[in-house]
Amino acid sequence: MSAVPEQALGLAQVRELEQRYLMRTYKRGAVDFVRGEGALLWDADGKEYLDFLTGISVCSLGHCHPAVVEAVREQAGRLIHTSNLFFTEPMVRLAQRLSDSSLGGRVFFANSGTEANECAIKIARKHAHRRGISAPEIVSFESDFHGRTYGSLSATPALARNEALGPMLPGFRSVPRNDAAALREAVGASTAAVLIEPIQGESGVNPIAEEALLAARQACDESGALLIFDEIQTGVGRTGSLWAYEQTPVRPDVLTSAKALGGGMPIGACVTAPAAAEVLEPGDHGSTFAGGPVASAAALAVLEVVDDPTLLRRVRELGELLRTGLLALDGVAEVRGRGLMIGVGLDDGIDAAALGADLLQRGLVVNVPAPSTLRLLPPLTIDAGDVDRALELLGDALVTRSP
Amino acid sequence: MSRKDRSGRHDPATAERVTSIIEAAERAAAALIDSADANAKRYLEEAEAEADRVVAARLEGMIETTDALVEQAEAIRRESERLLETVRRTGARIQPDGDGTAPAEETPLSRGKHLAAVPSGPEPAAEDSLRPAPEAPRRSENAAGARLLATQMAVSGSSRKEIEGRLRSGFEIEDTGAILDAILGPED
Repeated sequence: MSAVPEQALGLAQVRELEQRYLMRTYKRGAVDFVRGEGALLWDADGKEYLDFLTGISVCSLGHCHPAVVEAVREQAGRLIHTSNLFFTEPMVRLAQRLSDSSLGGRVFFANSGTEANECAIKIARKHAHRRGISAPEIVSFESDFHGRTYGSLSATPALARNEALGPMLPGFRSVPRNDAAALREAVGASTAAVLIEPIQGESGVNPIAEEALLAARQACDESGALLIFDEIQTGVGRTGSLWAYEQTPVRPDVLTSAKALGGGMPIGACVTAPAAAEVLEPGDHGSTFAGGPVASAAALAVLEVVDDPTLLRRVRELGELLRTGLLALDGVAEVRGRGLMIGVGLDDGIDAAALGADLLQRGLVVNVPAPSTLRLLPPLTIDAGDVDRALELLGDALVTRSP
Repeated sequence: MSRKDRSGRHDPATAERVTSIIEAAERAAAALIDSADANAKRYLEEAEAEADRVVAARLEGMIETTDALVEQAEAIRRESERLLETVRRTGARIQPDGDGTAPAEETPLSRGKHLAAVPSGPEPAAEDSLRPAPEAPRRSENAAGARLLATQMAVSGSSRKEIEGRLRSGFEIEDTGAILDAILGPED
């Protein structure tokens, strides 16, 4: 007998239970998915959906990728958890792979993106204290999103303004997005770090200008502060390179990853360059679950597939194909992003939320991060046919909504 | 005060007391000298120990710095090997103008649209006119940024054409040949 409960409740009953027992923190789309394979999802009624969201860039290899399923199944049958009080091979192999493929320093594992950023914030503050800074500051761009735990939340200007959740942590400030001069001005003797999403995801897919990235790197070099890239959404191949910084003119000192890293298993990682590798010492940080064998095995399987020049080139090419097709649609004002991380700015008068709901009805899963923006984060494994189908569904929906 | 007899000499008791006072003074002086010697020796030892500590700490710092430099060199070596591997793996696969799976031919129209789709400059804002113009990056910073961009893109598997496009659009470098040749080798 299977230990997994049968999924036979139906949407109405699932919604009723959700409203009765779950905290009201999410507004969910009106569908209960029960199965996924590749770029497709199916609901309880057997209706098929093309998934251009992938659980917010988590299932980047598509749903239930055979390599990830096999890694999870095999590792779960052998060893699931021992804690970080002991050595486990999948964790150290994953750390080696992450370090070698990026900044070359050390790795701290977490269970999510926000936790990975908490680690980066700790590194920045301790690094600053070592430089004699008693009240270190972390500078970020307005409309950055770094997470919902208190450190990451305090570095997320839009959410940190929610006074009902206050007080926030001290030592965070922000400057307007892409304002290189304001960034230079904000970084000074008390700056611990500049924390940047190279392409802002939650605000609607907004790439940070190269001029602003260069200014951040220069300001950090001059002040001794660390440059931290939050690659939680941009990393693991999403933009057409393993890490988004590889397509920028700078190299960060610290990088955080999560989302796609585990292929659906919860895992986060904070990776340093050698110069910041020795900042955290025994007792400074920890986690019971992080770097567990199953999540690490899944992440190794993901990297084995994604860190392939052919796949990454295809991500860039399909991104270009999708971008070109989107720009040809009536109702699309602009397309932002890189690779298969795409923000679609809609013409004035088009309600993105209503369009998103309509698309879900038509069988295309997308996200609406802003009132006039759609966010597309399809699997990196899609083909040109999937792109055509998404463009057709989107085009049909836009025709009915164009003012 | 000692007492003298009529001949002017000190009486024996007085002389004995004077002698004992002088001896006591000499002992006190000797003790003072011994104490001063001991203090000086201790101060000297402490100063030597402190100097040793400072030297040791600096040596440790130098060793750490050296280790960090070695690690950085090792990271660069690993990345260079990854670049070479990438170039080896993709060399046979990458055709000069793509393999037909993508929008292979970039027409002037699609190129223009692509550029519009990926803004690289600061977004306009209502208060922009009130703010001083952003300071432009220095020329050397730009050049170093362009080289790093090209290197990182090559490491991540980007083609010569892709890197060339980014150098032109992001850095307004018209003659990209020197940078590309230095990183990818001369074009056949």
